[in-house]
Amino acid sequence: MNSHVKITSRGPADLSRRSFLVGSAATGLVLGYAAVPGLDQAFAAPSNFEPSTWYSIAPDGIVTVTCGKADMGQHIASTMAQMVAEELGANWKDMRVQLASNDPKFNDPVLGAQITGGSWSTMMNFDAMSRAGAAGRIALTDAAAAAMGVPAAELVVRDSVISHPKSKKSMSFADIVKSGKATKTFTPDELKAIKLKTPDQYTLIGVSVPQLDIPSKTNGTAKYGIDVMLPGMVYGRVVTPPVRFGATVKSVDDSAAKKVPGFIKTVVLDDKTGSTSGWVVAVANNYASAKKAADALNIAYDNGPNAKLSSESLLSEAKRLQALDDSGQFFVKDGDTAAAFGTATKVMEAEYTTNINIHAPLEPMNAAAEFKGDILHIYSGNQFATRTGQIAAGAAGIDPKYVVMHQMWLGGGFGRRLDADMMIPAVQAAKAVGKPVKIIYSRENDMTMDYSRPLTYQKVKAGLDADGKLIALNHDVVSAWPTARWGIPDFLTPSVDKKGPLDSFTVNGADFFYTVPNHQVRAIKNEMAHNATPSGQLRSVAPGWTFWAVESMIDEIAHASGKDPALFRIELLDGKGKNDGGAQRLRNTLLAAMGLAGYGTGKLPKGEGMGVACVSSQERASASWTACVAHVAVAPSGEVKVKKLTVATDVGMQVHPDNIRAQVEGAALWGLSLAMYEKATLKDGGIEQTNFDTYTPLRMSQMPEVAVNVIANGDKPTGVGEPAVTVIAPALGNAIFNACGARLRALPITAEAVKAGMKA
Amino acid sequence: MPNLTINGRNMSVEAAGDTPLLWVIREQLQMTGTKFGCGAGLCGACTIHLNGEAVRSCQTSVTEAVGKKITTIEGLSAKGDHPLQKAWIVEQVPQCGYCQSGQIMQAAALLSRNSNPTRDEVVAHMDGNLCRCMTYSRIQKAIMRAASEMRTASNAGTERRPT
Repeated sequence: MNSHVKITSRGPADLSRRSFLVGSAATGLVLGYAAVPGLDQAFAAPSNFEPSTWYSIAPDGIVTVTCGKADMGQHIASTMAQMVAEELGANWKDMRVQLASNDPKFNDPVLGAQITGGSWSTMMNFDAMSRAGAAGRIALTDAAAAAMGVPAAELVVRDSVISHPKSKKSMSFADIVKSGKATKTFTPDELKAIKLKTPDQYTLIGVSVPQLDIPSKTNGTAKYGIDVMLPGMVYGRVVTPPVRFGATVKSVDDSAAKKVPGFIKTVVLDDKTGSTSGWVVAVANNYASAKKAADALNIAYDNGPNAKLSSESLLSEAKRLQALDDSGQFFVKDGDTAAAFGTATKVMEAEYTTNINIHAPLEPMNAAAEFKGDILHIYSGNQFATRTGQIAAGAAGIDPKYVVMHQMWLGGGFGRRLDADMMIPAVQAAKAVGKPVKIIYSRENDMTMDYSRPLTYQKVKAGLDADGKLIALNHDVVSAWPTARWGIPDFLTPSVDKKGPLDSFTVNGADFFYTVPNHQVRAIKNEMAHNATPSGQLRSVAPGWTFWAVESMIDEIAHASGKDPALFRIELLDGKGKNDGGAQRLRNTLLAAMGLAGYGTGKLPKGEGMGVACVSSQERASASWTACVAHVAVAPSGEVKVKKLTVATDVGMQVHPDNIRAQVEGAALWGLSLAMYEKATLKDGGIEQTNFDTYTPLRMSQMPEVAVNVIANGDKPTGVGEPAVTVIAPALGNAIFNACGARLRALPITAEAVKAGMKA
Repeated sequence: MPNLTINGRNMSVEAAGDTPLLWVIREQLQMTGTKFGCGAGLCGACTIHLNGEAVRSCQTSVTEAVGKKITTIEGLSAKGDHPLQKAWIVEQVPQCGYCQSGQIMQAAALLSRNSNPTRDEVVAHMDGNLCRCMTYSRIQKAIMRAASEMRTASNAGTERRPT
C-alpha cells in the first residue's frame, strides 16, 4: 500500500536545487524558495500556483512566517520565526506565524517532504531559515541604501529598522516595503554564499522570546482540527470493530439508528489504502445524534485472522523468531562476535521487553472533509501532510494533486498524527452524503485503533574477557515495523548483510557510541504483531526500547565485573574509531549529570538508590547527548517512589533555552510515564484499554522533581523533543537495582516485579 | 428548546435534554475553547464552571445546566486577562495547549474560594486534569503566581478603600 508515495531525498540540504526569490508585491514583500520545476512532481499539487513562501512582510511591517512543520506543542512555528527574525533583523513584536498547507513548496528543505518527527525540525531548518532571513535583510538593506543615498555597508539593521548612524537617517521595514523598492533576487550560489551571523552576533537566537502561539492557548482561541467548522457541515461518529485490525463488516442493521432525530446515513468504509478495517460511520446533523445513531447500529463482523491473538501470542512469536539463526537483517555487524564469544571468560544473556503503548494525545483523532468543485479539502492537525494527502486521495479515489490539506494546531501529536486513518471516514462520509463531514473519534476509538508503540522483545548476549572488559555484544530486536508499514522505500535502511532493507526506526540507538570491538545488532520483524497491531512512531520511537535493553545490560555487565556502572560507561566511551566526537560528548554529559545529582558522593539511606543511563537518541547521525541520574526509594512492598530525575543534555546550540527545558522536562516525564504507568494489552485481537481509567498516563500527583540541565557548546542545534524520553526507564531500572537488588527487564515496571526481584 | 445562561448571555439551544453540555457549547454554539478529551470525566479537558463550581461538561446534561450560570474559558475574563491566564503566559505553560482551557477553569474554581492554596492543595485539586505534554510543574507555578497576584490585588484594594 501507499507505494505511490515517494520521498525524493533524505540527503543533506542541497540548496542548489532551489533558487531563492525576493520580490515585491503590491501587498507586501514575499520571500521564499521556489522549487526548480520537476523537483516536487512526486507530490505535486500543480493546481496550486501561488508563489512559494517562507515568510512575507506586510506594508505595516508585520512579518508572517509560514511554518511547514506540524506544531504539536513543541512551538516549532515560533522557533522558525525566531530563526528567520535573527538574520532578518526583525523586532520580535513584529513576528507572526501561520501554518502551511500541503503544497509541496512548503516541503522540508532537507527531507523533501512535509513530515514532522525525529526531533529533526530545528536542526534541519536552521540553515534554510537563517538564509531566508539573511536574504531578506540584504534585500531590504539594498533598498534602504538606494532610498537614503548611502552605501549599504554603512547601514545597521536592528528591531525592524534600518538606520544610517552617520547621517542619522533611518527607515523601518514597513517604510521600505511600502516603497516597493525591495526587489533583489538571489541565485542559489549567492544564497549559499551569504555570510550568516556568528553566534556572538546573535540577539534573538539563545533568547527565550515569548512563544507566539501561547496567548491563544490560554483563552480558547487556538484552533485545532477538532474545532473546524464548515458551512453546512454534518458529523460522523466512527464505529470500530472489536479487533485492532483485519475485521470485515458482514452486515449492518441501522433500523434503530434511523429513528434517531437528525440521522442522515450509515457509511461502511471501503478502504483501499489499508489504513482501517471494518469501520462504519454514522452520519447525523449534529455530533450528539451521530453518537446516538452509532450506538444504535447493529453490526455483524468477521473478525478476521487476528481475532485469537493476544500480547502473549505476540511475545511468544517474537521469542520463536529470535531463536532462529536466519531471521532478520543486520543493522550493525562489527568484528566477529561468534569468535569473540569463544574466547570470552564470561558470557551473560538477558531478555528485555516492552508492552504496547498508546499515544493518546488529549485531542482525539479527527478530520473534516469537504469536496468543492474538483478539489478535496481536508482539515486536520497532521504530522505528515505529504502522505496524508495521498491517503485522503486514495480514500476519495482521486488524484492526490486535487487534495488540499489545511493544517491546524495539533492537540498533541507524539507521532500519532503521522498517520492518516482519520481521513478515510471523513472523506468517504463526505462523499456519501454530499456535504462536508467532521469526524471526531471517541476516546475509545482513539485508544483501541491507535498505531501503537509495538510490543518489543530484545535479547542481548555479552562476552567479557578476563579483565572484565566487554569484547562482544549480540543484540536482537524483535518488533512490528512501524515505518515499513508506510511503504516508502526511502524511509528504510539497507541491511549491512545485504538481506534487503530494514526498518531502522526499530533499532536506532542500538548502534551506540560505546567501543565494543565485536558488536552486532539484528532487526527482526514480528510479522504477526505487524499485522495484528499496526504500529506507529511513538515519541522517541526505537531508542525508547533499544536503550532500555542496552543501558540496563551495560549496568548488569558492570555489576557482574565489579565496576561502578557510571565509571564502566565512561571507560566504554573512549571515542575510538567511528565513535570519536560523539562518545566524548556523551561522556561529558554523563559526568555533568553525575555531578549535578551528587552521584556517588554520599551514602544513601537504606532502600534508596541512584542509577545512571546515557543515550545518543534519536539517531546516531542526529543525536542529542543525554544522561540521567535517577534517585529512587523502594519500599519493602516493591513500591517505587521516584525522588528525583537529574537530566543533562548536550543540544549543541540553544535557539530557545526555555523551550528546550520545557521539552526536555516533558520528554523525561513521558519516559517516566512509559516506564511506570502506561501499559496496553492485546486480547482476542483487540486492545483492552479504552479510556484513561485503564490506560493511565502520569498525573500531577505522580510527578517527581525533575532537574533539567542543558549543555550548549556552540555546535549545531540538535533535537530536544524526544531524546530525554529514552534515558529514564533504564536509569530507573538501574536505580531500583542499586536500591534493593531487583533487576527489572520488563516495562512497565511494577511493584510486583520489584518485590519478586528482591526475593530472588 | 432549553434556555442556557452562558458567559452572562441567555441562549436558546436546540438539543435534547440529555445531550452533554460539552457538545452544545462546542459544536452548536461554536465556543470551541472547551475541549473534548475522553467523554467519561477522566481527563478534565472539558472543564467549565456551573454556578462557579468546576464541572466536567461531558458529564453534565443540558437539563442539569438549565437555570444555572455557565462559564467557559471564553467567559472567564473580559480580555483573556484573568490572573491565571496572565500567569499561564508569564510561565509559558502551554505546549500543545489542548488541555489548558480545562486546567485554567479547574484552577480558577480553586482560587475563587482559596487564594492561598498549599502545593498539596493544588495537586489534589488539579489531579483529575491530564496534561499529555506533562506541563504539570509549570501549571503549579502559574497557579501559585496567580494566587499571589490575586492576594496582592485584593490587599491593595482593601488598603485603598477607606473603612
